[in-house]
Amino acid sequence: MTLETTARADAQISLVDLLDRLLGTGVVLVGDVVISLAGIDLVRVQLEALITSVRSELAPDPHGEAGSDGT
Amino acid sequence: MGREPSRLTQRLESDPESVQRDLMKLVLTLVELIRQLMEAQALRRVDEGDLSPGQVEDLGTALMRLEEAMADLRERFDLSPEDLNLDLGPLGTLVRREPW
Amino acid sequence: MGASGRYLVAVSRGLDAEALSEVRAIHGSGVHMVECEGLQAIVCDVDLDEFGEEPLRGNLENLAWVEEMARAHHAAVCAVDAVATTVPMRFATIYESDDRVAEQLRVLRDPLTEALDRVEGASEWSVKAYAAPEPPEPADRPRAESGVAYLAQRREAVEARRRRESDDEEALSAFHHELARLAVASRRLQLQDPRLSGRQEPMRMNAAYLVAHHAAERFSDCATTALTGRPDLRAEVDGPWPPYSFAALELS
Repeated sequence: MTLETTARADAQISLVDLLDRLLGTGVVLVGDVVISLAGIDLVRVQLEALITSVRSELAPDPHGEAGSDGT
Repeated sequence: MGREPSRLTQRLESDPESVQRDLMKLVLTLVELIRQLMEAQALRRVDEGDLSPGQVEDLGTALMRLEEAMADLRERFDLSPEDLNLDLGPLGTLVRREPW
Repeated sequence: MGASGRYLVAVSRGLDAEALSEVRAIHGSGVHMVECEGLQAIVCDVDLDEFGEEPLRGNLENLAWVEEMARAHHAAVCAVDAVATTVPMRFATIYESDDRVAEQLRVLRDPLTEALDRVEGASEWSVKAYAAPEPPEPADRPRAESGVAYLAQRREAVEARRRRESDDEEALSAFHHELARLAVASRRLQLQDPRLSGRQEPMRMNAAYLVAHHAAERFSDCATTALTGRPDLRAEVDGPWPPYSFAALELS
């Protein structure tokens, strides 16, 4: 029996669709940025950590004035 | 393979010519995110009803000035609002809507 | 050149070994079958210096590498799926040897059989919906007259957006249910990162449907036409694909 490659088998799939399915969990770029200069990686910015700390700064303080630092 | 999302690091390649603009883009993206968070927070505080009319007015004016300042900075570096769309993963949904 | 492992591409049944002679997988290698309990594992040889646990972790951060391997994996899955009922495997499912593969087939015989039964005679279809891009703030919007007026403007913008989204979501929920009725099974998937999909418009729906071959045309027609009445939503239909999203093993 020869292998028939039918039109069905060749239906195009985008990379993002393929990775979502093969990697199983959905591919997410988690806000990790590496800044490189002249081909050399210099700085890794973990945006998630940065934004998390900013976000908790901005959360309303239920007990009193926002931004009070207790000193 | 666990349930953690796959982490694909992205690289911001800069050459000495464009490094200033590239860094500015990153900085402004963060500032824009913070600005939007602040607006969302401000609306929530106003809704909570514990601010005086004067405070509401001051808050609104400050946010309005902040928006104008952002627009100015963007223009200066020739960046459109879409340019500042660095997805921040799950935290990005703070300013976009929830997935279906 | 390090030790050799087995990359498991898919599990099939009823496949004639000769049918695999033209199939190419990772790095263009051929594939062979490991048979056990009436099941057929389709495997190719890989170098553990590349696919072993440690090197793999590093390679997974390299999008170009992942793309090359994923496409090779997909090509092999498609070739096999074209001729036999096939349960595709996840990326980089590696075993030390053919014996270990056979052992897995033995241990997982029941869930694998169930999965093959589930996908037999059907293919996966992907249906996504995109929203028209947010209209940009008009550049010459008059400056608000006061701080309070500015806040009112912002609030109105947020609420208008929420109303639009809520309407869209109702329409999409109905759309999904209509499609699910035409399918054997369906799954909602995570919305996609625009940096990976390359799309500007916001994605509002990402779903996979397992559709019997005889229902494919009707499904495809429905999926492409059901949203035409809503100018602010656009459906995108892809397929048929091997049943990646319906290959999960029910391990009881």
